[in-house]
Amino acid sequence: MPYFKTSAEWYEQSSLLLKARPSSTRITSKYAVRKPTAAKIKKREKYAAKQPEKPADLTRTSSPPPQSQSPDEPTTTFTLKTYDPESGTCLQYETNKAAEVGRLVGNLGRLGRSMAALPEAPEDASAPAGSGDGVSTPKPEESGDVKMGGVPSTSAPAATGGKKKKKGKK
Amino acid sequence: MGREHLTNDEFFTQLGNLFELNRKKGHGSIILTQKRLTYDSTSTPPTPTKVADDPLWDTHPENPLPILIRACNNKSSKREGTDRDDVEKIALSTIVKPDDLDGFFARYAEACKTGMSGLKKRDRKKGKKGKKDKKKGAAGETKA
Repeated sequence: MPYFKTSAEWYEQSSLLLKARPSSTRITSKYAVRKPTAAKIKKREKYAAKQPEKPADLTRTSSPPPQSQSPDEPTTTFTLKTYDPESGTCLQYETNKAAEVGRLVGNLGRLGRSMAALPEAPEDASAPAGSGDGVSTPKPEESGDVKMGGVPSTSAPAATGGKKKKKGKK
Repeated sequence: MGREHLTNDEFFTQLGNLFELNRKKGHGSIILTQKRLTYDSTSTPPTPTKVADDPLWDTHPENPLPILIRACNNKSSKREGTDRDDVEKIALSTIVKPDDLDGFFARYAEACKTGMSGLKKRDRKKGKKGKKDKKKGAAGETKA
């Protein structure tokens, strides 16, 4: 059961799985807030104690790393899982970024269309979900790849394109 | 499952409550599931009927099928020495008709965005600076 690096990859593979087994595949998304274990708190404290030495050398004023995190802050994750019990296929993607949620749920909606045996989502219908939170997805390329003949290699450029866009925005 | 399905509107209010409860508690999970609704209790034959000759019988049903959406929290039981308390499992479910799918997921996305407040926000300071630079650059380019 692989965890994918990018959500685009997860989306593509999930959509292929859904095309193959639309009746048995289910998509589970889990939003989990966990309190850290004692060991984790210790580890974070250790890390925090080490941190102050570093920025002094670098003299970087612009971006103090996420030092604001207190040691006992809960860990929050959002996990997407596509599972087909018949074949045992399980595809997963995990994130901890709030900015991605809107886009991911948009993806769920588009996958929902193929679940419901509706035709591919029209571009304009899926666009607001993605652009709403400011993180861009390479929509046209993606939906092109989703066709049954889509080879994983063709999706690679699409995925990297998305990344480049994101970097540019930040 | 024996329980009744909620209407879409009720589902969203209940889902909001579920997220709110989770936020108040400070920890815990919300699990959301979606799947095709192949068995319909109101009509006699389960849709679509399995055709023995065609192994891909379910890939091309005649009519669009509804989708079942479920949401639940995690049940937890009291444990000494921690702030864990007895929490009953709350389970919700709703059926989305194929026609309402886009509208439902638009609302669903909003509900999730507001509900999942524990996730990491974007680094505002860093982002703003980058954006400004970008915008200036872009504006200059377009003018020139």
